Amino acid sequence: MDFAALGLTLRLASLTTLLLLLLATPLAAWIASGRGAARRMTQAAVALPLVLPPTVLGFYLLVGLGPATALGRTLIALLGHPVAFTFSGLLIGSMIYSLPFAVQPLVVAFSSIDRPTVEVAQVLGADPWTVFRRVTLPLSRASFMTAAVLCFAHTVGEFGVVLMVGGDIPGVTRTLSIAIFDQVQELRYTDANLTAAALAGLSFLALLVVYGRGNRRAELA
Amino acid sequence: MPDPRTSSSPPSRAAAESPQQLPLFQLRLQTRVGALHLDLELSLTSRWTVIFGPSGSGKSTILRAICGLLSQKPRSGIFSNFLAARGGSGAPLEWDRPHHRVAPHRRQLAYAPQGAVLFPHMSVRENISFPCAARRIPSPGLRAAQQTGSSEEIVDQAIQCFQLEALVQRKPGDLSGGERQRVNLARAFAVPHPRLILLDEPFTGIDRALRGALLPRMQERAVQLGAPVLSVTHDVEEALMLGAEVIRLEQGRILDQGAASLVLAEERARMLRILL
Repeated sequence: MDFAALGLTLRLASLTTLLLLLLATPLAAWIASGRGAARRMTQAAVALPLVLPPTVLGFYLLVGLGPATALGRTLIALLGHPVAFTFSGLLIGSMIYSLPFAVQPLVVAFSSIDRPTVEVAQVLGADPWTVFRRVTLPLSRASFMTAAVLCFAHTVGEFGVVLMVGGDIPGVTRTLSIAIFDQVQELRYTDANLTAAALAGLSFLALLVVYGRGNRRAELA
Repeated sequence: MPDPRTSSSPPSRAAAESPQQLPLFQLRLQTRVGALHLDLELSLTSRWTVIFGPSGSGKSTILRAICGLLSQKPRSGIFSNFLAARGGSGAPLEWDRPHHRVAPHRRQLAYAPQGAVLFPHMSVRENISFPCAARRIPSPGLRAAQQTGSSEEIVDQAIQCFQLEALVQRKPGDLSGGERQRVNLARAFAVPHPRLILLDEPFTGIDRALRGALLPRMQERAVQLGAPVLSVTHDVEEALMLGAEVIRLEQGRILDQGAASLVLAEERARMLRILL
């Protein structure tokens, strides 16, 4: 078992989940708040990682974060080094790759809140922030949990983007999924089996939490 | 400005009966929602005014327009929408301008929508406390409490008024239809300093005996709050029981306005014929 890879994976998944929830909440609220071409285009762009091969995303990230683009040059100037093949690069890649898993459940949650419930809150004196804090957020709590668990589990299991953007640097960018690949390449099947079992268990646990909450909501409804 | 040929203002009955009475609330409304064209001037001279009319006549739409809940975009079927309101002194209210420019939360309205729309994640007490919490009315002891009553005080009075003491810890999902409606009303009557109290079909699901008990309490509470009540109903008996001024509405136009016994005389006679 590669414990350095396990620690790195958990750190990456936790940070990705936290930052994605912060980013996805206002984005999902905006998407759910109306119609229009801009919202539909944003929603489609957010969902792209679901259908794109991870290597495509990884390739564009590698190019985009490199010195060939203005964004890449800015990041290099700010950080003093290229973002690719660092933990920061890995984090950016993970966030983009898992973005739909954070945004979609929240869009569904925000859209499913009854319009009259929000309206009555407004008329009774609640400004938009108060409506969001006291009505929208509490009614979407289960979806936040779902989004968090899915983001975490998806980040733990990602491979293609991680390999493209982060490479395979032990202790820096080598995650559990890459560790399995390395172990198999080196014919260390026992280690690979142990790592794979850990990943499978972690993923099953995450899905159990999601479905457990889903069933509880159905019982309460 | 409304077209004088089409604008529907209250007929002379109310004015003839109380020519010296200053209106407590006035508003002019022009809007189109789907096939319904609302073009009217409301002048509330009574502490309690009932908009009476058949389904689809625009009763609830008037309340929603006052609340600022109608969409402005032509693509959604609204072509024009103008609302102006003045208080009893004739001074312009804070939102005396095209109403789409005043957000619903700034209108200082108390509102009980049709169908008892409660916050499902909050207890009965939290639902009733919502208007105070949203406006950040302080707890007892602070300066503002001396002027407005603390949030606890306002909420307790509303709970007592609607006989909800035994239900305060329950969630809306555990309530019957009538109980939900009482919470809906209590929440509206817990709005501090409302400019106008809007009640959409307030007694739906509430049995007659309880309605009879609640009515005087609601009237008294409205006087305490110092705000006129504008309620909507299609129930003749309810309109007559309230003894309020009645505005009869049909297809978005005011047909008549005045004392319930006069405006609803025909309906009253019809009801009596059925009973006798």
